[in-house]
Amino acid sequence: MSVYYVAESDLVKWLAGLPDRSVYAPQATGTGAWVSGFDPDKGAPALDKARAAQSTKSFLMPPAETVARYGGSSRPVAVAEQPLALVGVRACELRAWKYLDKVMLEGEFVDPPYKARRESAAMISCDCVACAETCCCTLVGGRPYVEPGDGADVNITALDGGYLLEPMTDAGAKLIGPGWAEASDGQLAQRDGLRQDMVEKIEAQNARFTFSATDGAAPDLPEGDDDAWQRHAADCVECGACTNICPTCHCFYLFDHALADKGAERVRTWDSCLLSTYHRMAGGPQMKLSPRPELRSRLANRILHKFVYSPQQWGMLGCVGCGRCVDACLGAIDIRDVVEDLKR
Amino acid sequence: MISDNPYTPIPAELAEVIEETPTIKTLLCRPENPMAFKAGQFVQLTLPGVGEGPFTPSSSPLKPEEIAITILKTGMLTDRLHECRAGQTVGLRGPFGKGYPVDDLDGMEVLIVGGGVGLAPLRALIHACLARLDRLKRVSIKYGARGQTELLYAAQYAEWAKHEKVDFTCTIDRGEPGWDGHVGVVTTILKDMDLDRPNSKVFVCGPSIMLKFTVYALLEEGYTPEQIYLSMNRRMSCGMGKCGRCNIGPYYLCKDGPDMKYSLIKDYPNVF
Repeated sequence: MSVYYVAESDLVKWLAGLPDRSVYAPQATGTGAWVSGFDPDKGAPALDKARAAQSTKSFLMPPAETVARYGGSSRPVAVAEQPLALVGVRACELRAWKYLDKVMLEGEFVDPPYKARRESAAMISCDCVACAETCCCTLVGGRPYVEPGDGADVNITALDGGYLLEPMTDAGAKLIGPGWAEASDGQLAQRDGLRQDMVEKIEAQNARFTFSATDGAAPDLPEGDDDAWQRHAADCVECGACTNICPTCHCFYLFDHALADKGAERVRTWDSCLLSTYHRMAGGPQMKLSPRPELRSRLANRILHKFVYSPQQWGMLGCVGCGRCVDACLGAIDIRDVVEDLKR
Repeated sequence: MISDNPYTPIPAELAEVIEETPTIKTLLCRPENPMAFKAGQFVQLTLPGVGEGPFTPSSSPLKPEEIAITILKTGMLTDRLHECRAGQTVGLRGPFGKGYPVDDLDGMEVLIVGGGVGLAPLRALIHACLARLDRLKRVSIKYGARGQTELLYAAQYAEWAKHEKVDFTCTIDRGEPGWDGHVGVVTTILKDMDLDRPNSKVFVCGPSIMLKFTVYALLEEGYTPEQIYLSMNRRMSCGMGKCGRCNIGPYYLCKDGPDMKYSLIKDYPNVF
């Protein structure tokens, strides 16, 4: 498909005019970017900044939602919100969405609320032309720019003074405005240069790590009973920030509560495999009530799930190298250091 | 799954509540529509407005219109389930999981080892085996409970054992007046069994510590990890391999289990 060049004012006008959608995009903050409702009065979204502090996970998998109502006069649950357009989604996050699609949509059971939001959402991605110090997509077999097939409907590249827009799906092509100019060869060459620069920058800032991890070849890590995990678990304060901020972490907790109409509601909330209550089972005093009572084995389980179990379950790594967990960790645990330290 | 939304329980009327032992009750649930399940598959039983918990039906899979769920009183939800009365409405989701490999048992020696309330899911397997006894070599049931009053389904042992191909042995942990049977934990009745070992499959269900020592005892008797199936019931919640909480290594017990071949999980820590 063609690639178009638009000025900043045209990009803003286009995003503001996307029909029948709630548009969310990264907005510049004092320290970086934060994804929030797009406000055309504030100009173009922060597509020239590093990836936003939070991932777009929460927009399609909200931290809490009702998944079922039953009994009484309860009406069925349906996702009724307006379809979303998520703008400025990075290549690493598109990879995370592919992973979540496998978990939530593949196999015998489909997750209805996820399916409804996911299928109606437009993904308007962007190439990274800046990165955070913790960005490490190239370390886990990824890249900081978006290509057709990655899952974006339209991809944007911020160039000096304007933007390149490349529709990548038929749905994306329908979103493109009429009368846009096609990008020049020079502009496409400039895009290639920016992409190469960003790959080199991310490779350089991760040069100290020697482990290799791709979807097809996971690093060899010891199981959770290895004492070496304690070196890192000692810094974990069990806050769950890493699992909340991670674009692929999807563990959830279901609970029921009664409604006034004598029916009941089933709610799911995000959960964290690091919390001591996570696997808590029923049972008496003689019984082992959690399969992983030690924090060390819970931390090991999370990292092994990302790097070892996910490739076995889904043929994909569970880590996309966004680096957000490193930024968020109160105990300064860097998942790259953990893998580097423990790899065999 | 009957509902379009796999999180919605389907209503089921409690036809009867059977007091099995001082700590165990069986709820006979009549779902709005029959819920076909395989022996060893589990359901999520909802107490409306309170919550749900995973249970493997203890009744025959040949009777999907009335599902028996046998429950030990051992926590917040099961305390409330024990207060249920006949006529009340509960909810069911499922069935989930793979179920016992009943079709692979033709010509085999089937060894069933239960501890305490662990006999509940095994009863569905026993019923499935009894229904195809002509194809099996033999069925040996070894069961242990804490004491005489805690022997689950005690009135049914004689009926199981009356089949020529079925052998039933039980034991209680400590001797009691009026008991002239075996005394000792269940592993004490696994020694020197006269069974066709290479041609056997073993199914074990019970508390974690019982699973552990039963596995050790079976390995000592010469069984291989490939022959042993363990009911690895954990905090299974969504039932669909999505919520993440029931993993052992790369396996989700709700999807890949809840009965797991010991050879698949033996190298992961925290199995027991």
